[in-house]
Amino acid sequence: MSNSLMKIEKVKAYYMLKDRYVKAVDNISFEINENEVIGVVGESGCGKSTLSNVLMMNIIKPLALIDGKILFKTNGSYKEISSLSREEVRKDFWGKKMALIPQAAMNALMPTIKIEKYVEHLADAHNIPKDKFLKKAKERFEKVDLDPKWLKRFPFELSGGMKQRAVIAIATLLDPDLLIADEPTSALDVVNQKMFLKILMEMKKQGIVKSIIFVTHDIATIRQIADRMLVMYAGKIMEISPIDKIVEKPLNPYTQGLLNSVLTPEPEIKKRGITTIPGAPPNLIDPPKGCRFHPRCPHAMDICKEKEPELKEVEPGRKVACFLYSEERS
Amino acid sequence: MFKTMFKPLFQNKKFIIGLIIFLIFLALGIIGPLVYKVDPTEMTWDFEQPPSKIHPLGTDTYGRDILAQLLQGIRSSLYVGFLASVISLAIGTIIGTFSAVKRGIIDDLLMSFTNIILTTPSVLIAILIASYLNVRSLEVIALILGLFQWPWFARAIRAQLMSVLSREYVYLSRMAGYSDFRLIIEDLIPTIATYSFMSFVLFINGGIMGEAGLSLIGLGPTQGISLGIMLQWAVLMEAMRRGLWWWFVPPGVAIVAVTSALLIISTAMDEVFNPRLREE
Amino acid sequence: MSRLIVKNLSKTFLLGFFSKRKVEAVKNISFEVKENEIVSLVGESGSGKSTTAKMILRLIAPTSGEIIFEGKDIWKDLNTKNEIISFRKNLHAVFQDPFASYNPFYPVERTLWQVLKLLDKNISKKEGLNLIKESLFKVGLDPKDILGKYPHQISGGQKQRIMIARCWLLKPSFIIADEPTSMIDASSRGGIIKLLTKLRDEQGTSIMFITHDLGLAYYVSDRIFVMKNGEIVEQGTPDEVVLNPQHKYTKQLIESIPKLYEKMEDI
Repeated sequence: MSNSLMKIEKVKAYYMLKDRYVKAVDNISFEINENEVIGVVGESGCGKSTLSNVLMMNIIKPLALIDGKILFKTNGSYKEISSLSREEVRKDFWGKKMALIPQAAMNALMPTIKIEKYVEHLADAHNIPKDKFLKKAKERFEKVDLDPKWLKRFPFELSGGMKQRAVIAIATLLDPDLLIADEPTSALDVVNQKMFLKILMEMKKQGIVKSIIFVTHDIATIRQIADRMLVMYAGKIMEISPIDKIVEKPLNPYTQGLLNSVLTPEPEIKKRGITTIPGAPPNLIDPPKGCRFHPRCPHAMDICKEKEPELKEVEPGRKVACFLYSEERS
Repeated sequence: MFKTMFKPLFQNKKFIIGLIIFLIFLALGIIGPLVYKVDPTEMTWDFEQPPSKIHPLGTDTYGRDILAQLLQGIRSSLYVGFLASVISLAIGTIIGTFSAVKRGIIDDLLMSFTNIILTTPSVLIAILIASYLNVRSLEVIALILGLFQWPWFARAIRAQLMSVLSREYVYLSRMAGYSDFRLIIEDLIPTIATYSFMSFVLFINGGIMGEAGLSLIGLGPTQGISLGIMLQWAVLMEAMRRGLWWWFVPPGVAIVAVTSALLIISTAMDEVFNPRLREE
Repeated sequence: MSRLIVKNLSKTFLLGFFSKRKVEAVKNISFEVKENEIVSLVGESGSGKSTTAKMILRLIAPTSGEIIFEGKDIWKDLNTKNEIISFRKNLHAVFQDPFASYNPFYPVERTLWQVLKLLDKNISKKEGLNLIKESLFKVGLDPKDILGKYPHQISGGQKQRIMIARCWLLKPSFIIADEPTSMIDASSRGGIIKLLTKLRDEQGTSIMFITHDLGLAYYVSDRIFVMKNGEIVEQGTPDEVVLNPQHKYTKQLIESIPKLYEKMEDI
């Protein structure tokens, strides 16, 4: 209990549109332990990017936190960051305690601002002397395999892989406890992907960051770096378990479907074949009643159409939201 | 096809408002002089009269009827606008299409030429040409204006065609054995049609404003009455200082109303046709 | 027998008029594709694989080299309109971007009518509609959900299936599938691949996948060509290329791809 860095309890975050809401994160609870990497997977539009923003309390209209608590451990006690405003969290937590690399961050760098400037902005924001901070940035750049001279360059002069490495170096300059990375590798070619993953894990080993949330659609990448995998579908957690166990034997039918659609160059995959999950993810404005996956599920039972399955521990460390593993099924 | 393209336009309030204002003025310009049969150039002894029963919008220094002038002026200004627009559209389409389709040297040359025209101060050149000509008909004014407002349209058409030509549906049509001609008719024209239509509206606007501008500095058409000419006369006779409001207010209002109606129409079209704005 | 022979194919793009710049997209590549065979051309963006595909599809002209399809050089021997039409009937493609594959101004079935008209100019409306419905069923779509819809009203997976329905109507002897699955969700990827391989199994179609995804290439192909900077650096059966790569680039590529059942040692 006490070794969890962050606790997320029954969090609901909806996008409020004119006359309806999009239930992008709907009643989600889980804990992030210290010193672990959690991989978050799901199809596009399942709410995984919204989740990363909610964890940061980066909540901007029309997104609104409807319900639930987010607790973050600082100095040995839990602080309820969900009761603070975005401004307060930004001032006290962002950068120092938690950092986010948003999707396509490397392409969001202004091409006319030198990379150095971003570091100076960060120093200003946290009242740190600039030269000391720049020196630290230089050291960090060396750690991510970038020549410190690139600090004095403009973002457009860097290649995609270099830009992404610069982004992670700057995002973690203040040694945050938690790093959330949203699809950081999807725009890179495989060689640069691997280099990025290596750097990420190296940072964890050296204690620059303690825990990492890695959001992606690519299970094979998560398999390489994560301790646990969290599977999201239509704003809900379907399954959360240690990665080895999930790859060995996925429990939730949705997880099974996702794993069976993975296509990597391995003889096992060729032998096993790939399958398709029929249908398409539901609209989050009006998701199906009961289990949200039931219209696409090969094992759907009557109860799945009526009741929503709860996320329950079925084996030590493994939690699944599915009636196949619950006594409740009639 | 055109039905699905233009139907959403008529569900847009802005577009309908703009269109109604424009159509009112179009009707005034076309039907007005036929119904209100007063010669706008006939001089009478009722000079500088405020609006009355005989002269609904009053008269000017020479006793000419302002309403008759206004109706004639709307007609001429719209005519100049349309003509200038057609000329710009034709030049722009030809140059843009050639550049996009031929590529290579032709593209380079045409685009260099376009950039030269784009960067020359077109107002100055227009003034030079206009002052060089002693007799200027409405058509000549339209031609002068039309010759200078096409460059950005040519560039836009070129960019759009280039992007369409490398789009996969064009490849797929070609793979279905389409000839170049059929490809142009079915795939390329619809893509640039909405944009061209929008530009057409803006060009009319440019023509009307340009005519008014040239007229105001005394380089407008030497024959006929346009809204710009009316304003120029009013300025010459110091109508503003002397409080002869019925003289300069009607043409001013007409120019502002027509050009804003056209601007509203083109913004509304932008909203409807621009997929990014439409997504909402 | 080889259905497609590519010999010493090169493409050089000249950019700019005043300051000429040469870009060698494809450098002297040669390969053959047999009947009934599925091959993959694997490479990263900028490797020249898409340019190669477009040259084979007769969409852009090569700078030098020959492309011989069913015995005829497609850039030199096709002179009459009929020859070109018969070439178009036999070589077809499915593209990467399901959104860009449809002209947004027309209902989606236009793409199917196009190939019907290519096969038979005077096809009747009723007959054509029946064929279209049949082809949609074949790719697992309900004509009710598709006919009369515009591209933005259906999903990417559905759009890509219609593209395969187009191939089912045309029944070409050769299909180039240019990244057919890279822009659709992983969960519907398998279906698209199955539909394509079914064409080979039932019609004897040769298929060439153009992809950056070695996993896909390994899974579907009989042979793999690895392209890098416009050259084919390695070729062989999937097992040869993936399990025992020879070229430095292929080795690095395979080593960098995250696997599901094997953990990378050096992370």
